Amino acid sequence: MTNSDDMRWWYVPLEIVMLRRWLVAAFIMNVLLLAVDYLRAESDLLLLGIISCLLFAALRASLPNVNDTLRRDISLVLSAALLGIAVYRLLRTDPTIFNIWIHCWSLLPSGLTLFWLSGRPVTVWTSRKLSDSAIEYGLMRNANLSKIYHATSTHITLLHFVAITVIPLIWIIDIAFSEGNALGGQIGDSFTTEHFSKILNGDSFWTWFRNSLIVSIGTALLGLFIAIPAGYAFSRYKFTGRDASMFSFLLVQMFPGIIILVPYFMVMKTLGLLNSHLGLILAYCVTALPLCVWMLKGFFDTIPRELEEAAALDGCNQFQVFTKVVLPLSTPAIAVTALFSFLAAWNEYLLALTFNTSNDMYTLPVGLASLISSTGQAWGDFAAASLLVSLPVALLFLFFQKFLIDGLSAGGVKG
Amino acid sequence: MVSVEFEQVNKQYEDGFQAVQNLTLDIKDKEFLVLLGPSGCGKSTTLRMLAGLEDVTGGNIRIDGMKVNHLPAGARGLGMVFQSYALYPHMSIHDNLSFGLRMMKGTDKLDGNEISKRVKEIAQLLELDDHLDKKPKELSGGQRQRVALGRALVRRPKVLLMDEPLSNLDAELRHQMRNEIRRLHDELGTTTIYVTHDQIEAMTLADRIAILDKGELQQHCAPMEAYHNPANDFVRSFLCKHIDDLVDTANALFKKPEEVNE
Repeated sequence: MTNSDDMRWWYVPLEIVMLRRWLVAAFIMNVLLLAVDYLRAESDLLLLGIISCLLFAALRASLPNVNDTLRRDISLVLSAALLGIAVYRLLRTDPTIFNIWIHCWSLLPSGLTLFWLSGRPVTVWTSRKLSDSAIEYGLMRNANLSKIYHATSTHITLLHFVAITVIPLIWIIDIAFSEGNALGGQIGDSFTTEHFSKILNGDSFWTWFRNSLIVSIGTALLGLFIAIPAGYAFSRYKFTGRDASMFSFLLVQMFPGIIILVPYFMVMKTLGLLNSHLGLILAYCVTALPLCVWMLKGFFDTIPRELEEAAALDGCNQFQVFTKVVLPLSTPAIAVTALFSFLAAWNEYLLALTFNTSNDMYTLPVGLASLISSTGQAWGDFAAASLLVSLPVALLFLFFQKFLIDGLSAGGVKG
Repeated sequence: MVSVEFEQVNKQYEDGFQAVQNLTLDIKDKEFLVLLGPSGCGKSTTLRMLAGLEDVTGGNIRIDGMKVNHLPAGARGLGMVFQSYALYPHMSIHDNLSFGLRMMKGTDKLDGNEISKRVKEIAQLLELDDHLDKKPKELSGGQRQRVALGRALVRRPKVLLMDEPLSNLDAELRHQMRNEIRRLHDELGTTTIYVTHDQIEAMTLADRIAILDKGELQQHCAPMEAYHNPANDFVRSFLCKHIDDLVDTANALFKKPEEVNE
């Protein structure tokens, strides 16, 4: 074998390499999208969808190899047929954004296949023996183009994730700023701030907000106050019942919350803590503590013992070792833990609903739900209020972002 | 005058492992003692017991004649250099150096001027002047090593303890720091105990070496004496044979071209 024979097997035009991957993705997406046609109960469109899927599979299987004009021609015919079906399906359905997006998943892959397979690089590669310089050129071209193609496919994937995250948000923002309290209608067809002014001027929202804030901050502070020493003790000291008590922390987590609901209620009733902030704070702490303790223990485990020994030799007593060396180093983990217990308390619904019977003591989630049930499904008010509720959380995340990454990666990966 | 005595010291860990057995050892004033032995021989445990980081199971450790078995680590007036340096990552180099001074208690308590004077002094000695405002992670390995050394020395310790301080450095830096450590010792005269498993380090640094194996002291004398009169088979194979092998390898390496010429 000469040198160029060797190289011939290694050279595949980037278009073919990309199609081999992207057609698999297109096939999977089209199979998933069959569900839409099925749910719409349009049998002929469903049939066409199934045919497209089969054609995609056939197209992927028939992608040409080197010096294989026959398979290239078959692929060309298949992709042309797919393109035709895709255009027909597009014309048959209403031109909404969602429909166009669905059909893009068969339009673009088939169109791209047709375009690339009929292009010069693939034509030459399939039809004749390439010279050394042509292969060298092709390999160079592959290297240059692959960056662009990879970036494109990554961004297409990421766009889908962005859409999944952003579209619900757009909906709720639209509902919050639309007139009336009904769902539906086109996005952006009316604009009003009446829902916001109604919510913000009403007393209830601020009462709920205050309750939520007190309960959540209380939970975070009390949780930290217990979890930091506990996590440190679990991480550094050996004592009787250490493993057992750490396991029992996990055991509590294994119960579904609803099982403990009634016992909780009875305990709170006996203690006279129904309709009080303290009752909720205690209950939330119990739920949040195990995870907080485990997270902090994991982080403390990553702090080298030698640091503490160095501090001991520098003249610190045990408490000073903890406050002057361990605590300052743990700020990321502590911030994450605080954020976690704050959020758990901020979002909790079931306990807050059970323990509190008066409107004055409602937390935000319970209050929001009451907007829907009692005042005749005020969706507009509800959307506006839920935006207002998530605002502090979004701000917290923005503020804690750096800590969050540090805390989660340091505690998680190494611990 | 500083002296350290180990008197029939034993250390048994909770799992029953006997790390140090009946160790009797004395370190004289201004001496540079190297504890040498293979890993697991108890040399680090010995050092950590002296530092107050491990409890002593039996026997006595005395510093200047005073029994320190139950004295807290910070009260023993020692400075220690750790293998991983163990610099405080959240403090600047200046704060790392001054931390021990700021923690001093009672009659030793220092005022701010004295602290900054001492930090400046030690920074100059170790050529760290330009780095005082940086955090440890901004420094190179050799610089970190010097900060660790400075942090131990700045408290003017009675005894300077070093636990394999050079094993995280590359060969050239290790050589450089080895000379630096010996120079500092000659300059300051601090009594020093140095733990290593590296025979060459031990031979070049020590006034006297204490060779340990399986928790027991094998020989305690000047380095050349140990080389010429090994006390037992272990010392012979661990120290003498190792050095002879090194010499042979080096000789063979440099002989080759001559042999080719013949």
